[in-house]
Amino acid sequence: MAERSHDLVVIGGGPGGYVAAIRAAQLGLSVGLVEKQKTLGGTCLNIGCIPSKALLESSQRYAAARDELAAHGIKTGRVRLDLAVMQRRKDEVVGRITQGVAALMWKWKVKIYTGEGRLAGAGRVALRRENEEEEIAATNIILATGSVPAALHGVDLDGDRVCTSTEALAWRTVPSHLVVIGAGAIGLELGSVWRRLGAEVTVLEYLDRILPEMDAEVAAEARKILAAQGLAFRLGQRVTAARAAGGQCVVEAEGEKPLECSHVLVAVGRKPFTAGLGLETAGIELDEHGRIPINERFQTSPAGVFAIGDVVRGPMLAHKASEEGVACVEMIATGHGRVNYDAIPSIVYTWPEVAGVGRTEEQLRAAGVSFRKGSFPFLANGRAHALGSVEGRVKVLAHAETDRVLGVHIVGPHAGELIAEAATAIEFGASSEDIARTCHAHPTLAEALKEAALAVDRRAVHV
Amino acid sequence: MSGRRAETLVIGAGPGGYVAAIRAAQLGRRAAVVERARLGGVCLNAGCIPSKALIHAASLYDKARHAAELGIAAERLSVDLDRLIEWKDAVVRRLADGIARLLKGNRVETLQGEATFLSPRTLLVRGAEQSEVLEFEECIIATGSRPIELPGFAVDGKRVLGSSEALALRALPRRVLVLGGGYIGLEIGTLWQKLGSEVTVVEVTPSILPGAEAECARVVARNLKKRGVRVLTGSRALALEEAPGGARVRVAGAKGEEAIECDVVLSTVGRRPLSDQLGLEAAGVRLDERGFIAVDERQRTNVPGIYAIGDVAGPPLLAHKASHEALAAAAAIAGEEGARRPRLIPAVVFTDPEIASVGLTESQARAQGIDVAAGKFPFAASGRALTMNQGDGFSKIVAEKGSGRVLGAHVVGADASEIIGEMGLAIALGATLEDLARTVHAHPTLPETLMEAAEAALGRAIHVLER
Ligand SMILES: Cc1cc2nc3c(=O)[nH]c(=O)nc-3n(C[C@H](O)[C@H](O)[C@H](O)COP(=O)(O)OP(=O)(O)OC[C@H]3O[C@@H](n4cnc5c(N)ncnc54)[C@H](O)[C@@H]3O)c2cc1C
Ligand SMILES: Cc1cc2nc3c(=O)[nH]c(=O)nc-3n(C[C@H](O)[C@H](O)[C@H](O)COP(=O)(O)OP(=O)(O)OC[C@H]3O[C@@H](n4cnc5c(N)ncnc54)[C@H](O)[C@@H]3O)c2cc1C
Repeated sequence: MAERSHDLVVIGGGPGGYVAAIRAAQLGLSVGLVEKQKTLGGTCLNIGCIPSKALLESSQRYAAARDELAAHGIKTGRVRLDLAVMQRRKDEVVGRITQGVAALMWKWKVKIYTGEGRLAGAGRVALRRENEEEEIAATNIILATGSVPAALHGVDLDGDRVCTSTEALAWRTVPSHLVVIGAGAIGLELGSVWRRLGAEVTVLEYLDRILPEMDAEVAAEARKILAAQGLAFRLGQRVTAARAAGGQCVVEAEGEKPLECSHVLVAVGRKPFTAGLGLETAGIELDEHGRIPINERFQTSPAGVFAIGDVVRGPMLAHKASEEGVACVEMIATGHGRVNYDAIPSIVYTWPEVAGVGRTEEQLRAAGVSFRKGSFPFLANGRAHALGSVEGRVKVLAHAETDRVLGVHIVGPHAGELIAEAATAIEFGASSEDIARTCHAHPTLAEALKEAALAVDRRAVHV
Repeated sequence: MSGRRAETLVIGAGPGGYVAAIRAAQLGRRAAVVERARLGGVCLNAGCIPSKALIHAASLYDKARHAAELGIAAERLSVDLDRLIEWKDAVVRRLADGIARLLKGNRVETLQGEATFLSPRTLLVRGAEQSEVLEFEECIIATGSRPIELPGFAVDGKRVLGSSEALALRALPRRVLVLGGGYIGLEIGTLWQKLGSEVTVVEVTPSILPGAEAECARVVARNLKKRGVRVLTGSRALALEEAPGGARVRVAGAKGEEAIECDVVLSTVGRRPLSDQLGLEAAGVRLDERGFIAVDERQRTNVPGIYAIGDVAGPPLLAHKASHEALAAAAAIAGEEGARRPRLIPAVVFTDPEIASVGLTESQARAQGIDVAAGKFPFAASGRALTMNQGDGFSKIVAEKGSGRVLGAHVVGADASEIIGEMGLAIALGATLEDLARTVHAHPTLPETLMEAAEAALGRAIHVLER
């Protein structure tokens, strides 16, 4: 059999890798994609963004039926939960989207190799499946192997009740008491899911605040709102041990009484995944965080080997991975390609949602940038009232002299959809006045962004 | 005759008028606003806000009823329309209080009464107890619009309702005939259908939502049909007759005449400007041939010092257009430099699914002789839409082919209203398809569909199967 060869071989079929593969095919390269799992889509589609958002939506609908209808004059008897059906819908959504990705690969004639990929010398990728090993020749190689949950010293994962997000997305019964270790996006999202479905939820966080990546003021407001929903936050907790013991689990934190619970979710971040990739033989040395070092052209140390997504520096977000995939491939094919790291939005899909793009107030202060701030509460927004969801605010940070928008931070209903306009503003170098002068439809939540922009210049109409 | 003086006097406290008064005050003018009814105008009291509150509640109810596939069963669901209306009224009250506070906080005087012009510089304000003559330096007319009535279908508040009466109704009509398939009729019709009414829509033109982008309107039409709403397009309501236990409406369509039984008729056949009860002749303000007050791009009428904004100053009859013009008029009065604003007015329809549009449609662009590049992305291929269980609809971007400059965006689908904001800004900033495609959009979100539509227009969408 003639040896397989491609212009580009991508290792890892997540949102970084598969998007890179499609874009490369669009640009005329012959592409191979190596993925060790049976389905494409990586963490994001299989055990990340998509299943979590499906459960967040379902659990929110359940909570709304249980708690919100009465206020609107809608009477209901008991609201019952069929978790098996809820989980099945989630699986169906995942199935539909991963199949969609497979169809896209077929459309763009990307050759899929199911198996584990490894660097095997210049221009070569070794593919291992079961007992066979095969080599593929590749002019260019992109490493897009993603990340896995970070472990916490002293925590004994049992793959069932003391576990990571992967298992917590698939539980078949509602925990009676869930302890979440880590108040980042994943911990709060899954904590919210199980809280809405009836669990008692305690969130332990090492820092003295939640959502450490987000703007502090917005995060503090989110904490109040989530706490009122029954997420019990304990901040400043250094967890030293967690394990299942008999029918119960125990979590120990420094200086605290051991906490008994039924389930433990460890959500203390993720770490780049590079095991078995053959990096040593290729002469690639990981940085102190275990990431593959790259330059601004996504090149690693050996020629022709690139890396993108969760396995390299930067926020671990699906759209960041995809964007790098596109830019990296364009760089390979055309010599140009760019990612604007100042305009990458991030979203936490609690209810209300939390979203931010650009710099936080703390970052601007630390950098000594003088800025003006406009803030507008959803309490003064008509659409929010009509939706019965008036908590939260929009905050616009603009440069004090030039008025250029530097950061936008939102906690509130549909914050995740609203942040797109803010990202566009930052990408275009728009001023807060540009947003303020743009006509926004009434009644919409997006009007709150406009009012916050007006407030930068102390001219909000509705506060 | 002489009386009290206000620097800037605003007639009507709707989303045009109260915003104009507040902004004029912020810009240093001594401002007053005259309102004969309630603060907030049609929008707050009988329009945008009450309708959207009820639409939200109705869709909560609808979603709760159809949640089995999500693993949720709500037993014995029923609607207490009295409570629902009370909740809606409470929402309106809270926002009206907010406006009163804003006016006060910005030192705008509020006068309760009906205003008529006595001259190009004076107004008579007739209150419940007393009348007063006011002199002004500038006047902003923001008197809004009122519903049109079809002959034979006069609104009587019982058999025939207008939108205002409909939004206050405390007993759900069993069978409704909606006259007019514009957005107001369809929004209220859909909300009643969700609460349990049987709904028929009669529309004279060949399709519903004649103002909306045609493909978007088709998605809504399809969904109405799926819901069991009967839509009769190209049909004309001829007469209303009493019938045992209700009413009968004779309707003439392509296939002849038919009699439709119903309990109430909802008349939503359009609105006309409130420009005829204002004594405009005394001021010499000119109207256009349709009765709207004629204004220039800074909202000036033909009479120096008199401005007009909102519904009374011409289409589109939308609240944010009124507020947008309010800011422009106040800026013109204050002599603000660079006060011109791009006239890009988005339009949002809160049907199921929602429609949101800004800028040119594909056919409008072609009619202007523009070489068009358009791209579409279906919600069925959006991860976010699928997680929301709402894969119906699409996003569409219209651009000029050569330059790639974006001319319009049209969305039909879940939360369309909330994702159009980005496109208004992008078009105002002169974005091209390439710009949109290269702006990072968070995953998984609905705005990704706009980015993918731009890529589709460039011939390189990542997530679509058809080429
Ligand atoms: C619960 C949860 C929720 C999340 N929610 C969001 C969200 O809402 N929004 C967001 O932006 N991000 C979210 N994320 C993060 C997001 O999933 C990641 O940022 C994204 O998946 C990273 O993409 P990637 O392509 O770099 O890596 P991955 O998606 O991790 O894909 C890497 C792929 O490489 C494969 N692989 C690894 N090594 C090899 C090898 N040697 N050979 C072959 N294949 C290999 C893996 O099997 C995997 O399929 C979430 C994550 C989790 C866990
Ligand atoms: C059911 C319905 C739903 C709607 N939904 C939407 C929507 O979702 N989005 C949207 O953008 N638009 C919507 N609209 C349209 C929107 O309500 C109007 O475009 C908007 O209210 C116009 O604002 P305005 O300030 O020009 O006039 P108005 O809101 O009509 O206010 C005019 C005010 O002037 C007062 N007035 C009139 N004459 C005099 C006088 N001589 N003296 C003193 N006071 C006077 C009136 O009492 C009134 O309060 C809807 C309308 C209806 C009927």
